[in-house]
Amino acid sequence: MTLSIYELAVLSASILAIFLLGTTYIRTNLGFYSAQTMAIAAATMLAGSQREPHLYVIALIILLLKAVGIPVFLIWIADRIDAQTDAGTYLPAPLSMHLGILLLGASYILSSELPMMLGHGQGSSRIGATAAMSLLFSGILVMLTRRIAISQIIGFLMIENGIYLFALTQTHGMPMMVEMGILLDVLVGVMIAGLLLFRIKKSFEHIDASQLTQLKD
Amino acid sequence: MTEFFRWLVFLMFVVLAPPVSVGIIRKVKARLQNRIGASIFQPLFDLLKFYSKGETVSEVTSWIFRSSAGINFALVLIIALLVPWVQFKPHVASADIFLVIYLFAFMRMMTVLAALDAGSAFGGFGASREVTLALLIEPALVLCLASLGVVSRTSDLEQIFSFANLALSNQPGLWLLAGSGLFLTSLVELSRMPVDDPTTHLELTMVHEAMILENSGRNLLLVEYTHALKLLVLFGLSAQCFLHAIAPVWQLPAVLISAASGGAVLITLALVGVQEGLSVKLRWTRLPEFIAYAVTMALLSVLVAIAGRLGS
Amino acid sequence: MGQLLLLSAIPLILAFLSLAAADERSVRRIVAAMLWAQIAVVGWFVAPLLLGAQTLLSFAPDFCLDRLGACFVMLTTTVVACAATHADTFFAGEAEHGHIHNPAHFKIFYACLNMFLLAMSAVFICDNLGYIWISVEATTLFSAPLVYFDRTKNALEATWKYLIICSVGIAFALLGTVFVFASSQHGAIVQGSLNITKLVAHASELDYSLLRLGFIFCLLGYGTKAGIFPLHSWLPDAHSEAPAPASAMLSGALLNCALFGIWRVSRIVVASHHHAFAYEMVTVLGTLTVVAAAIFLIRQHSFKRMWAYSSIENVGLILVAIGIGSGALFFLQALNHSLAKVALFLLSGNIAQAAGSKRLHDLHGVWKASPPLGLLLALAALAVTGAPPFGAFVSEMLIFQSSATPAHWLVATLLVVAVAIAFVAVMTHVGRILLGGAKADFRAFKPVLASLVPGALVIGSLVMGVFAHPRFWEGL
Repeated sequence: MTLSIYELAVLSASILAIFLLGTTYIRTNLGFYSAQTMAIAAATMLAGSQREPHLYVIALIILLLKAVGIPVFLIWIADRIDAQTDAGTYLPAPLSMHLGILLLGASYILSSELPMMLGHGQGSSRIGATAAMSLLFSGILVMLTRRIAISQIIGFLMIENGIYLFALTQTHGMPMMVEMGILLDVLVGVMIAGLLLFRIKKSFEHIDASQLTQLKD
Repeated sequence: MTEFFRWLVFLMFVVLAPPVSVGIIRKVKARLQNRIGASIFQPLFDLLKFYSKGETVSEVTSWIFRSSAGINFALVLIIALLVPWVQFKPHVASADIFLVIYLFAFMRMMTVLAALDAGSAFGGFGASREVTLALLIEPALVLCLASLGVVSRTSDLEQIFSFANLALSNQPGLWLLAGSGLFLTSLVELSRMPVDDPTTHLELTMVHEAMILENSGRNLLLVEYTHALKLLVLFGLSAQCFLHAIAPVWQLPAVLISAASGGAVLITLALVGVQEGLSVKLRWTRLPEFIAYAVTMALLSVLVAIAGRLGS
Repeated sequence: MGQLLLLSAIPLILAFLSLAAADERSVRRIVAAMLWAQIAVVGWFVAPLLLGAQTLLSFAPDFCLDRLGACFVMLTTTVVACAATHADTFFAGEAEHGHIHNPAHFKIFYACLNMFLLAMSAVFICDNLGYIWISVEATTLFSAPLVYFDRTKNALEATWKYLIICSVGIAFALLGTVFVFASSQHGAIVQGSLNITKLVAHASELDYSLLRLGFIFCLLGYGTKAGIFPLHSWLPDAHSEAPAPASAMLSGALLNCALFGIWRVSRIVVASHHHAFAYEMVTVLGTLTVVAAAIFLIRQHSFKRMWAYSSIENVGLILVAIGIGSGALFFLQALNHSLAKVALFLLSGNIAQAAGSKRLHDLHGVWKASPPLGLLLALAALAVTGAPPFGAFVSEMLIFQSSATPAHWLVATLLVVAVAIAFVAVMTHVGRILLGGAKADFRAFKPVLASLVPGALVIGSLVMGVFAHPRFWEGL
């Protein structure tokens, strides 16, 4: 099937997300996250050239803050708390990568259920929905199968990427103020979570989220 | 006349190119490591050296060991004649995907049997590692080629890789994915970095070297040459995939396409050299993760191939 | 624009003051005092709405206030002011009992408290689904430092779970918002809109399947934040590990914000006249939550966790009220719950502080040790579980009556049974706390002063139960 550059960009974002599933090294994960966010920024720029110019600004801000800023911040924290790899995963990384591919296929089938819109061709909206759904699934998979706290943050960020991609491909782009507000919230959330990670490492001597079970009925 | 020239060029290529390609990889790696490195013809000279040396054959081996080198040599020549690893390969017979895969498997079987035949520990563990890797990487190889076959609705490799096949003419995504899958698969099949270090002769890192340790003299010439030609064919195949992904190439006249395919093979070999220089050998227990990436590329190319037929 | 500034001036100034001030005791006093001024400002602002002169107050694009929102803003500001007032006594007691806190922690606490108030008020003022989402997420971010105040390992774990679970939940609410936005682009609104008034006006032209998907995701997302049954696991942890004033605010004000988000989206669905599925879903989830909370309440071993589960039960009841479609019942139940729950959490803070432990089997004989606290605890517990003559009884009776239609007999039965079970469970636990021999080391810090705010709230609940006139909530 022939794909336009825009579709290639969004699909490569979801493929990079699948690659992220296959490795447990934190630095590699953050590298894949950064690459996938850059692909999404590129897709936003391409969409901006076709539709509304305010998307250019959003693409630039995503590139600077989400593709560069957040991974640098998280790598800095990972170095401080000496977290190199996620040793305990509930599902071996290669298997979760293959599961991610299956979910990509499932998203393609599911995307035909969504009412399609956007004037520029049936295909692009469908590929966009596929990529967004698969990003969402990959993020959920990361949150479910990984144990250490920093992987949970990465999973949350991937879910946010997927939702943003949904907004980009299924609508004419959300209003500027709303996008900025969402970005701000995500940034502040990641910062607070990162600072909490420091404390968790200092207090508990580990960052294994599955062992935070002191509070229960 | 042109057919004769074609055959001449191709045969010269088949004779000279394998050792030279190994030399190219080593040269690129040396340059990356800030060494001058041996000349690219050095492996060729090594092969000639092996020709003039005598052979030492272990007493406990049987006809399997003595004949495996020859059988593999014959098989790899058949493969080189069938598989379209360069565009100027003359047509010999139809190269079905599964025929080619089984020929590779046959070669592997003979190598493994020869290794076990000598009864040494090196042969034993080299054979076991080789078979494990083959088991894990087989799906990737089949799926990459099959995904191409599904879109072009044929299982003949020559037709798939021909530039006259318009079904595959505008599929850069598919070709890129299949090419990357084949590239990673070749790294595993040929036991290159990061799967195994081909330059060391230490127990820790030998897969291919361990199996061929018992060979010497002319047998070793045959074995080394076979491995080099297998390397050229496999990397050449992935080079063709990458070439097919570039849209403007489809419009060029046949001569230029042939030249371009040769150039693509050269670039891929350089890429392998860079990869050798930059990567480290993975611990054995981490290999399934690397192989999973190769299988992932293969699965993605399958997904792209059947996307048109999934719920429309 | 000017009105927005007016409403947010005092909290913003107080936030800066808290960070910049040198002495945390004066910060506590000033914040407590100025928040009552904030109530006056808000009251003056929304007076035309409450007194019936106007039904809608729109003062900026995408910012608009209706009567329901006005009532909630008043409630929220009152809750925060009460909590801040009591916090002064509470934190003084903490120092007295030897829990010394770093002054910087107090500054952060009060700064976040003010920003938290701002974010919560914003939820009710916004007329734009996107802005509502931003405000709800902002409330999560500003309340995390509040939960983390004690800086113990348990508080850290509770804050982490709160942050992660709520953020992921709210991300799904964002997905729902995107779907609603997409549904609006199919309809008469060309560029699509997130403005709620516009969406309600054009509701019948919105694409139905996208709207339905949007509603479901918004329900699940904001429901996580509100603490509905399968997604409630963060709530007992966060509400029990936070210091008492913060727990009071979380239970008494924050849950209302999340439920208000669900309410707004349900209004859009209702206006499209395909709302049967929405009401079914919300009612079923609400009932499930109430039943689950009641079962959880039977076996409790920590004082504040018990009140957290009681909050979950009330969230379920409020969801049923939303499912019935009545804004008046929604506000009434929320009001009564807030009044009683804030009183309870503030009292529990003092009692736990006096006894030195939060565990139920360490607490007994409070009645003998400190009669004012004990009496108020009994009354507040009766108020929150819905016993007459308190206000919660009236609102719960109204909810039971409205849901007791032949089609919903199961819902009504389950609700009655569950509320009864919850009542028995809570009163048994409270009984064990109150009765028995007094503990030797029970030292309540300024019990009379500490009983002022809870006492006022309990009286407020009593007034709601006895004197509240139907005319008050009819127009909502």
